[in-house]
Amino acid sequence: MSDTIVFESEEQMPHLPMSVGTTLYNKTGSWRYVRPVYRNRTSPCNHVCPAGEDIVDYLGLVKHGQYEAALRRILEENPFPGVCGRVCPHPCESECNRAQLGGAIAIHAVERFLADLPQARQLPRLEASAPSGASVAVIGSGPAGLSCAYQLARRGYEVTVFEAAPHLGGLMRLGIPSYRLPREVLDKEIEAIAALGVEMRTGMRLGDNLRWEDLQQYPAVLVAIGQHVSRRLNVPGEDRQGVLPGLDFLRRVNLGERVSVGPRVAVIGGGNTAMDAARSALRLGAAQVRVLYRRSRHEMPAVADEVQETEQEGIQIEFLTAPVKVLSNGSAVCKLQCVRMRLGAPDESGRRRPEPISGSEFTLEVDTVITALGQETNLDLVADRMECAHGLLVSSNAAEASPLGEGAWRKGLFVAGDAATGYGTVAHAVGSGKRAALAIDRYLRGEALDGFPALGDPVRVAARDVDPTVVRFEDLNLAYFEEETPTLQGQRPAAERVGDFDEVNLGFAPDQAGREAERCFSCGTCNECDTCWLYCPDVCILHRDGSGYEINYDYCKGCGICAQECPRVAITMEEELKWNK
Amino acid sequence: MEQVIMGNHAVSYGVQLSRVHVIAAYPITPQTQIVEMLSEFCADGLLDAKFIKVESEHSAMAAVIGASSAGVRSFTATSGHGLALMHEMLHWAAGARLPIVLANVNRAMGPGWSVWTEQSDSLAQRDTGWLQFYCETNQEVVDTVIQSFKIAETVLMPVMLVLDAFVLSHTQEPVDIPDQEAVDAFLPPYIPKVRLQPGEGHAFGGLVAPDNYMELRYKMQKAMDEAVGVTKQVGAEFGKAFGRNYDVLERYRMDDAEIALVTCSSITSTSRVVVDELRAVGEKVGLVKMRMFRPFPFEAVRQALSGVEKAAIIDRNISFGQGGVFASEIKAALYDSPQQPVVFPFIIGLGGRDVTPESIRGIVRHVQEHDRPEGEIIWREVRR
Repeated sequence: MSDTIVFESEEQMPHLPMSVGTTLYNKTGSWRYVRPVYRNRTSPCNHVCPAGEDIVDYLGLVKHGQYEAALRRILEENPFPGVCGRVCPHPCESECNRAQLGGAIAIHAVERFLADLPQARQLPRLEASAPSGASVAVIGSGPAGLSCAYQLARRGYEVTVFEAAPHLGGLMRLGIPSYRLPREVLDKEIEAIAALGVEMRTGMRLGDNLRWEDLQQYPAVLVAIGQHVSRRLNVPGEDRQGVLPGLDFLRRVNLGERVSVGPRVAVIGGGNTAMDAARSALRLGAAQVRVLYRRSRHEMPAVADEVQETEQEGIQIEFLTAPVKVLSNGSAVCKLQCVRMRLGAPDESGRRRPEPISGSEFTLEVDTVITALGQETNLDLVADRMECAHGLLVSSNAAEASPLGEGAWRKGLFVAGDAATGYGTVAHAVGSGKRAALAIDRYLRGEALDGFPALGDPVRVAARDVDPTVVRFEDLNLAYFEEETPTLQGQRPAAERVGDFDEVNLGFAPDQAGREAERCFSCGTCNECDTCWLYCPDVCILHRDGSGYEINYDYCKGCGICAQECPRVAITMEEELKWNK
Repeated sequence: MEQVIMGNHAVSYGVQLSRVHVIAAYPITPQTQIVEMLSEFCADGLLDAKFIKVESEHSAMAAVIGASSAGVRSFTATSGHGLALMHEMLHWAAGARLPIVLANVNRAMGPGWSVWTEQSDSLAQRDTGWLQFYCETNQEVVDTVIQSFKIAETVLMPVMLVLDAFVLSHTQEPVDIPDQEAVDAFLPPYIPKVRLQPGEGHAFGGLVAPDNYMELRYKMQKAMDEAVGVTKQVGAEFGKAFGRNYDVLERYRMDDAEIALVTCSSITSTSRVVVDELRAVGEKVGLVKMRMFRPFPFEAVRQALSGVEKAAIIDRNISFGQGGVFASEIKAALYDSPQQPVVFPFIIGLGGRDVTPESIRGIVRHVQEHDRPEGEIIWREVRR
């Protein structure tokens, strides 16, 4: 800098200001008071996935055609992508930021595509963390029980699953019809869990041929018995022949029993069980199926796609209608007396409370009534004098609470799935079972459970270091995105599909899955789009060997253009003082 | 190939024929069609160039500075407020000695908001180190684009060519569009003396201490001095190749002229008509068309006006607190002339107000009726 160049003549003079050497000696990073840091944030899909899947991450892999790696990412968290890709109400899609620019990503269809890859599935094991000889009993082979069994088995625990029914899978098998979830898909996913060495014992009912004494040898027990008790209608005549509780009806249909319905069927309720019962009744040969729901379409708990498919099949949904009395001709049901409803003030659930309109009574001719008003759990066996904390059943009074009647009633009794949370979806149960597995693992290794995520919070096994701030639509740099409409998976035509129990949805071909992944904004997660690299005026953003970027802080002036331009909010500017401490 | 085209498209064809490699521009009325057509040329594969969309004229000039620094032929176009926004970068382009060509469509500055022609936008940039050429016709526009690259790349200074809003930019005229082969022979590919390139560490445009800064400025002025001769030479070469000669200025029916109209841009064509009319009735009136404004062609101006009794300078611009820019510069040039005409400094047609043959006749009558100008500015057609 201090060298003075003296030109002897005009010819020696340069015609433009250009340095002889480089200016690399001038480390302009010292000018910086804020520094860009690659700090991924939480995508709305990841934030709400009840099973704790890292959706944004695996969509990125799908985009690059890395299907098996994408599937492995799901399997870290959820051993049931084939099930969830078909039956999940996909809250991820409800929250998807893409919904505001063309339509939500069809995440469920991509998940299903990955689950259906033809390669034989091998579930990923983890480094064993189980203390030697640690074994766990899981009561119930539904999604919660099997998710827990899977996560424990892959850590080296010996796990035995006890199932009361003759078949494995809980409500996945007994509650969901095969036109939505083909049996072979479920079987394959359960077999993959069994292949990790999980022992599965069917026909073992707690309190019956499975006694608490039998479970004493297990240092930890998970109760994941789900919700199997149908709520009652509470109207006169509901115990007549021809009135069927929805879950019983579906269980018999799904186990392949011969179930007959009359030509005119009324299904009471507005949830997924109601839709499943109505569509199953249609497939069993009913001529006319109606669904009666006491609120309006807006309040229906059933997934919108399911409702649409139900209506496509010719099933009429009578909104704002409630039964008041079941009338019978001798012993058999012949009529259903109903009343029209209107919506009043919101109730404790936040939905507007339906109120009967006096004088609006009318009668429907029916042969079969199926009730689908929701279900409850029966925790009599364990919980009448127990309470639940951190998903761990704890006794308020250990001596009294013991079903064994002994003072030394065990610790280490955990609960998960619908029995604990009542959310009623496979994805929630998978998440809850996984959470129980992580809690049991801690417990058996003698670690405290304080600070463990609350019941109902999704947990992740393969967590990335991600800022918990959720990226919202308005946070994105919309200059980089155009409106693009979603790709829909094919469906068999309604007239054809109502004749059998074969699958309705036909799934994605690779190019369709790729197109959906391509539309993903990758909210909060760097997907190496090179925008920062392109914009950095100081050429300080460098491609790192392998993946991602590194910043040359020797020269980065902290101008913030990279963070400002990042389409997906994956760079934050942090005060330099914090880093210099 | 003769086509009837507007001035804006004459610019686009000139750029295409010059085989420009990078174009960065931001649209602004009345320039938009220039870059629209160029972007279509790029999209359709008719021009092998990178078209860079930018968010402002400042960025447009910054982008072509980058491209030109990397050693490729670069072009941009703008108008009025867009040119004003480029101001800082105009200095940079000149100081970095980059042979960028810019087409500016003259537009009056707001407020009052205006999209019509006036020279104040380009004349306000006269001290930035850019050559300036003012075009009379659409033919001159296409020819000047091609010559501009040759001149710029010879003297290593940027060139601004200027055309009137609407009167040229949007008006269709028959134009002979040169053949590509002939243009290629006239304008060879640009070979930079130095350029940015990966692997060679140099800082361009860095800090220059007082020890050396002045020498860089001296070199720039030397290049401007050289540009006068280069422009004459390139104009003559162009004449040989294409049959249309160009010089730094043009003298029209100036032999034995007692009164000279000094004009530039499209007012020249209007004035030619009036000069022909007056000559037909025996009045000794001629015309000097200013083509080059920067560098200022002192010698040519002195020669052209030597022997004339009166010179009527027609300015479609105003430097507030001073007057017409051409008049003030021509008066300065004549200070050293042994034969000084009486200079009548007219201002007319601001904000695109029509300058008609009757306007020019009025100016000639005014000059004939007065021995000396009555002030520093002679306002024409102002309603007061």
